[in-house]
Amino acid sequence: MTDDIIEQIKQNVIQGRMDKEDEGFDGGMVGQPGVKELVQQALDMGTDPRRMVTEGLTEAMSIVGERFEAKDYFIPDMLASAETVGEAMDILAPHLAKSGMATKGKVIMATVKGDLHDIGKNIVSIILKGAGYEVNDMGADVTPERIVAIVTEEKPDFIGLSALLTTTMMAMKETIESLAEAGLRDKVKVIIGGAPTSAEFAAEIGADGYGADAFQAVRVVEELKQRS
Amino acid sequence: MAKKGLLGGSYKLLSEDDIAQIHDTSMRVFEEVGFQVNSDKALAFFRGAGAEVDDHIVRLPREKVMELLARAPSEVTLYGRQPEQNITLGGARVYAGTGGTALNVIDSSSGERRRATLHDLKQIAKLVDGLENIHFFLLPTYPSDVAVENVDVNRFFAGLDNTSKHIMGGVYTLDGIRRVIRMAEIVAGSADRLRQEPIISMIICIISPLKIDRNYGDMIVAIAEEGIPIVVPAEPLCGATSPVTLAGNLVVQNADSLSGVCLTQLVNPGTPVLYGSVATTTDLRDLKYLSGPIEMGLLNAASAQMAQFYHLPYYATAGMSDAKVIDAQCGYESALTGLLCALGGANFIHDAAGLLDFALSVSYEKYVVDNEIIGMVMRAVEGIRVDEETLAFDVIKQVGPAGHFVSSRHTRKHMRTEQYHPTLSERENFEVWEADGKKDTGARARERVREILFAPGYRLPEEVRKGILEEIQGIIY
Repeated sequence: MTDDIIEQIKQNVIQGRMDKEDEGFDGGMVGQPGVKELVQQALDMGTDPRRMVTEGLTEAMSIVGERFEAKDYFIPDMLASAETVGEAMDILAPHLAKSGMATKGKVIMATVKGDLHDIGKNIVSIILKGAGYEVNDMGADVTPERIVAIVTEEKPDFIGLSALLTTTMMAMKETIESLAEAGLRDKVKVIIGGAPTSAEFAAEIGADGYGADAFQAVRVVEELKQRS
Repeated sequence: MAKKGLLGGSYKLLSEDDIAQIHDTSMRVFEEVGFQVNSDKALAFFRGAGAEVDDHIVRLPREKVMELLARAPSEVTLYGRQPEQNITLGGARVYAGTGGTALNVIDSSSGERRRATLHDLKQIAKLVDGLENIHFFLLPTYPSDVAVENVDVNRFFAGLDNTSKHIMGGVYTLDGIRRVIRMAEIVAGSADRLRQEPIISMIICIISPLKIDRNYGDMIVAIAEEGIPIVVPAEPLCGATSPVTLAGNLVVQNADSLSGVCLTQLVNPGTPVLYGSVATTTDLRDLKYLSGPIEMGLLNAASAQMAQFYHLPYYATAGMSDAKVIDAQCGYESALTGLLCALGGANFIHDAAGLLDFALSVSYEKYVVDNEIIGMVMRAVEGIRVDEETLAFDVIKQVGPAGHFVSSRHTRKHMRTEQYHPTLSERENFEVWEADGKKDTGARARERVREILFAPGYRLPEEVRKGILEEIQGIIY
């Protein structure tokens, strides 16, 4: 029974089916339980939440990643799957804490000062959450001062900065300098992304990593985490 | 998901009055000019219908022409060997596929041109079988390594044994026609079955201006007697075999192809027949036939309106290029003429894949390029669906100001069908493209060609194949 329900959670994450209202990737699934209902049902049955995460959610997202790489899945498919994982993690969080399984890390996400283009950053937030990170999304046009304040207060492991414009990408450099001035630069890893940026630019401004797309962003975060 | 059979016809370049004038002028040609019929068999049918015959020149009153046209079916279904490959021609439904008959193959990497062989024909059939947007297989090349008396059977066998799409082809001898039909009967299961579900069809041209050739006339009679679907297209060339004006060309094409339709209906009333155009312009500096001029798109789109006026299924010509290699010209010429024709609602757009070099040559890579063009063209034919679901007010309301639609369920639901998803076009970032070897369209097309040709392909069932090889003479395999 436990194996069955974990398999069902996995399949529904792959399908990106949040709840029973969702018709699913191939359609015709309205009325059948989605991830939300299945996770609750599994908890009621006494299923180990850690197994739900590792064998259900994580395995499912790795299959979603493969499908995305193979160009079968588009970004909206990937987001739908990641959102179901985010929702599952919200339900499971208190139970995981009880069983001693911490989140993988805390990430602050922000689109930098002067830039209002935040769709890419929002997507990265969803995918990071889907990968098991705790994400605090500060929105767009976020000044260096606000970032310094939140890093002081929340002590995140990572900051993700985005910019779409060549005119605003220099605000990333400014943000990193502000963190250094406040004595916080070695307390947090900074990763950047956005159309005009590159790995070279990241190195130039002293960021710790660069993600060309949402999946790469997650990979970079995982690599930095392992190295620290 | 490959789209086909969608309704075109949104592009109407002829007004109702234009159509009436082209019709009236064509009827005056039937009555006052007449057409030359050099086949005694064909001539006998026209004489039997009460036509005025004066030394091989046949004149028909317009009432008689219209009476004969009314006998022809307004819809013809050409069958593939899988139900999803059947294509029903008529109205403004649009399909596109290959055409011929080219003599050469251009190797797009070396730019060298060589004679096409029977092996090429088999390989191209396999390639086309794997290209999702090509809706039928019109035998595209003439095998230089086969004796003429065996060309018909070998061409059709190459098609039938390598793709399950519908096979159409030009034919070269009366005996060849008979053997090809017998072979198709074996594949279909019986003679009756082939007539009910024709998996092959044949093309016999009318010679512009206003001439039914002796051999071609005999062959039209033979095919119509057999009840096999037949196309009777005409190929008037502006300034050479028709007036230079496009309207004058349309009159000649119309009268020519209608004379062929009339003949088929005299021989065998109700014979499935396609009215057809291969009209184009010539380069009047040297009288070269041209396969990619924009006027060809106009002519073939206009004839779609004429076909709809006569309620006849329509065989059109578009999507070729006079370029020699996979370059910008080969893309823009093919795309422009193909798009005009498809938006005009042409039923059976042939020559829309593979052809270069005044239709003298094919290129394997060009089939892949044209597969992409046809995919895009079919999306254009589909147009924009406007209803409550697609207007999406509820979704706009749900997302609200400054939100995004990337993670909306509505996006997921419609993104695969609302947009054409290319299989060839370059859409990577510069860095990714650079790291992947800076491949151009030709190089990417070459990869798809290899992928399809190295994979297992379609084959006739073994017992059918055996039956054919035992009974039909002259097949090289």
